[in-house]
Amino acid sequence: MSKLKGKVAFIGIGEVPTGRFPETAAIYHAIESAKLAIRDAGINKDEIDYVLPCAALFSPQFNTELVTCRIVEELGLKNVKKNCQIFAGGSSSTCATDIAASLINSGSASTILFVHADRLGTGVSLQGGIDLFSTAGISSEWEVPYGQHYSSIAALSTMRYKHETGCTDEQLAAVCVSNRKWAELNPNAFFRKPLTLEEVMASKMLSTPLRAKMSNMLFDGGCAFIITSAERARAVTQKPVYLLGEGGVVTHFVFSQEPDVSRFGWARAGKAAFEMAGLKPQDMDIAEIYDSYPIYQMIGFEELGFAKRGEGGEMFLKGDTWPGGKMPTTTNGGMLSQGHTGAGGACALIVETVRQLMGKAGDRQVKDAKFAVETAVGGTYMDAQVTILGTEIP
Amino acid sequence: MDTPVKPKPVPVVNPWAKPFWDAAREDKLVIQHCKDCGSNIFYPRIACPNCFSDNVEWIQASGKATVYTYTVVESNPPSAFIVDLPYVVAVVKLAEGVQMLSNIVGCKPEDVRCDMPVEVVFETLNEEFKLPKFRPVSKPL
Ligand SMILES: [Zn+2]
Repeated sequence: MSKLKGKVAFIGIGEVPTGRFPETAAIYHAIESAKLAIRDAGINKDEIDYVLPCAALFSPQFNTELVTCRIVEELGLKNVKKNCQIFAGGSSSTCATDIAASLINSGSASTILFVHADRLGTGVSLQGGIDLFSTAGISSEWEVPYGQHYSSIAALSTMRYKHETGCTDEQLAAVCVSNRKWAELNPNAFFRKPLTLEEVMASKMLSTPLRAKMSNMLFDGGCAFIITSAERARAVTQKPVYLLGEGGVVTHFVFSQEPDVSRFGWARAGKAAFEMAGLKPQDMDIAEIYDSYPIYQMIGFEELGFAKRGEGGEMFLKGDTWPGGKMPTTTNGGMLSQGHTGAGGACALIVETVRQLMGKAGDRQVKDAKFAVETAVGGTYMDAQVTILGTEIP
Repeated sequence: MDTPVKPKPVPVVNPWAKPFWDAAREDKLVIQHCKDCGSNIFYPRIACPNCFSDNVEWIQASGKATVYTYTVVESNPPSAFIVDLPYVVAVVKLAEGVQMLSNIVGCKPEDVRCDMPVEVVFETLNEEFKLPKFRPVSKPL
């Protein structure tokens, strides 16, 4: 088991609004997010000695700038030893957290800045986005020739899940409604108008049973976080947010090779994370579950132990997961409502987890939140990544 | 819509998978079989993904399968598939135990169900490729 429990903490977060900003250079989303994170941490920028930029998908040129230290130079960071790109698709932020924690705990680094920014909302066309995501991460030999793409992938999981559990389309739509309730309170979210079950159910069918309003949309955006040792964190902030547990399971590359498309590796990854933290799902004040499509939020929620299989839908429908509910879930609105920024979906989710635990979530603050679990997944749901954070070390 | 029809993507073939595509061109569905541990293997690998043996041979599959899961793509597909709407994408489980992605053809899209029995048919993609697809079997397996 990892020895990192309680050894490192998040001390600062930054985020720019998610949306369509055709006039804004992608680098702005990166450096503004990083600037906000440094100010939030209240440290001197030159304490940062390691920068981990996430990869961006919209432009190889921009991505190369991230690789070649543009963030370091733009911000004038004077003591950076290494600038090294981290990329695991949607799991990038979780992998970066684990790697940053290991680097700090080993003494290789002291204060690490992770930054994500992309421009998938205005950097590519709508059809260009669909075409990008009908090849990115999808096997060009075994799946692309059959018209596979991300909507059909989500639909394949949804169809099997419905077949095995009897979950209804209304219960799946309720995930979208629940996330929107939170996004209404999130100034950085793109979709902030109230959403009803009826609107979701009336939206265009994409791939049965998946409808348009059950699908994420791609936007521009960025966010950043700073991690340091637990000791240093206690010296610089009143509210360090400690890394308590992590668990991960890689299951597949080719989606059709996944033996269980309505469960994946979540139960095993969750068990590892909770065991490391010495906590149980019932101890969590918040569940920040990766959405991208309602089915994946439902599966993650249930497999992690927040509901029995097939019973999560009623909780989303009844409001248990809404603001004021007994199990606040995906409190930034998720990719379904805050918006999907490529690898940034889970970056935003971990930033939100830290924000809630620091007590900085404004109108959507979950009162007295102490422990939270966050999940991330990349590619065609190729892995299950679970992170547990808390304001104290149990 | 003035989007020009894009050509269908063809499989990007790895050299060790070539026997699969050569057989498909002759309407045969083949998979790998490990002579050491007995595993049936799909998609083709450079060594057995179960026991890591190189002692792997090609066998002909029965072509019988069941639909593990499926979806009817009704809108927003990749450009090259706009002309095919609606079409069925499915994960099928072969009688030999391995899974593959395919399309369900030869029936109304709305008649497809999870766990329904299907059998392989080969559709010509171009001079070089035939794609294995699946259609409902009239009698149960
Ligand atoms: Zn073997």
